[in-house]
Amino acid sequence: MGWFGGSKSEQATPVSRENRQKCWETRDAYFECLDRVGVLKAGEEGKACAKENTLYEENCAKSWIEYFNKRRILAEQQKDMLAQAKVQSQEARRANS
Amino acid sequence: MSATLFPFLRTKSLSPSVLLRGAHSSRVSYAQKIQAHNNSKFKRCYSQFRSTQDRTAVGVFTPTAAAVFVVTGVGLFYYFRHEKAKLLEQRQKEMEEKSVGRAHVGGPFVLTTHDNKSFSEKDLLGKWSMMYFGFTNCPDICPAELDKIGGIVTSLEKDYGRIFQPVFISVDPARDSVPQMARYLSDFHPRILGLTGEYATVKQTCKAYRVYFSTPPNADPAGDYLVDHSIYVYLMDPRGNFVEAFGQSSTEEEVVERVRKEIGKWEAQTGKKV
Repeated sequence: MGWFGGSKSEQATPVSRENRQKCWETRDAYFECLDRVGVLKAGEEGKACAKENTLYEENCAKSWIEYFNKRRILAEQQKDMLAQAKVQSQEARRANS
Repeated sequence: MSATLFPFLRTKSLSPSVLLRGAHSSRVSYAQKIQAHNNSKFKRCYSQFRSTQDRTAVGVFTPTAAAVFVVTGVGLFYYFRHEKAKLLEQRQKEMEEKSVGRAHVGGPFVLTTHDNKSFSEKDLLGKWSMMYFGFTNCPDICPAELDKIGGIVTSLEKDYGRIFQPVFISVDPARDSVPQMARYLSDFHPRILGLTGEYATVKQTCKAYRVYFSTPPNADPAGDYLVDHSIYVYLMDPRGNFVEAFGQSSTEEEVVERVRKEIGKWEAQTGKKV
C-alpha cells in the first residue's frame, strides 16, 4: 500500500485528493472488468481481472477495498429491490384501473 | 387646572366643581366651597386678565398652549420610541428562548483546531456554522460532503461575506492528530476548520450533537480501519442554535437556498445578518 509509507508502525498519512482519485479510478476499472465477465462478488472472477485487481490493491487501502466490494453487492441488491418495487407498483396500478 | 393659569378656558357652565358635584354627591359641600372660592378668585382675576382674554379671543392658541403642545408632543415621541425599543427587545428575547420545535442538537465542547488552537462552542457564536463529523481515512462520503460544504461556503460568501464557519470534527481521534487534520484539510476549502481532541472529549461532543460513531476507544493509531458514523451536515445559527440537518441527498443548491432563507428570517427579526 503505497501511501502508508511502507512501514506499518508509522502513523498513517492522510489520503490526499490525488490518492483518492487514483484509488477510485482503479476501483472503477476493476468493477467494469467484473461487469464484463458477469461477476458480482469480487474474488469470484478467477484470473479474469488480475491486472485491474493488482492496480486496485496497489492504490487503495485494504479497508477501503473491503468497503467498496461490499457496497458493490449492496448496491446490486438495492437495484434488484427497486426494480421489483417498480414492477409491483405498476402491477398494482394496472389492477386498479 | 386653576382659573388663574388658564382664564381663557374657563366658562361658568363647565367649571370642574360642577362636574365634581355630579359625580360625587357626598363631596357636594366641599365642592361648593371650592367653587365659591374659585368664583370669588375668578371674579378678581377675570378683571385682571380681561385684556389678555380679549387679545386671545381669536382662538385658544396662546404661547402657553403652544408650549404645552410641544412638550406633550416631545414627551409622546420619546415615550413611543421607548415602548418600541422595549417591544423589539422583548421579541428578540422571545426568539432566544424559543425552544419549541427546535431539536436539542449541540452543547459545550473544547477541542483543538487543525492549527493547534483551543476551540469551544463559544467560538461558533456570531457566525452561521456548518458542522460535519467524519474522519480523514474516509473512503468517499466525507470528502464528497466536505467538497459540497466548500461549494456552499464559496457561493454564500459571494453574497454575504465571511459570516460562515464550516467545521469538520473528527470521530477518529486515535488517527486524526492535529498535523493529520492539517494535511488532510489542505485539500479542501480554506475556511473549513478541523477539530480533534481526546477520545472522551470527542465522544462527549458527538453525544451533544446526536452523532453516532463506531470507533472503539482503544483503536490502533496505525491501524487500517473504517469508522461508521452519522453523515449529516448541521446548520447552526449565530447564537449556536440548531437550525437544520442536511443529508447526503441534499444538493449544494438546496442547502444554499435554505441558508439564504434562514438569513432572511434572521434579518427580519434582528435587523442583522449574523
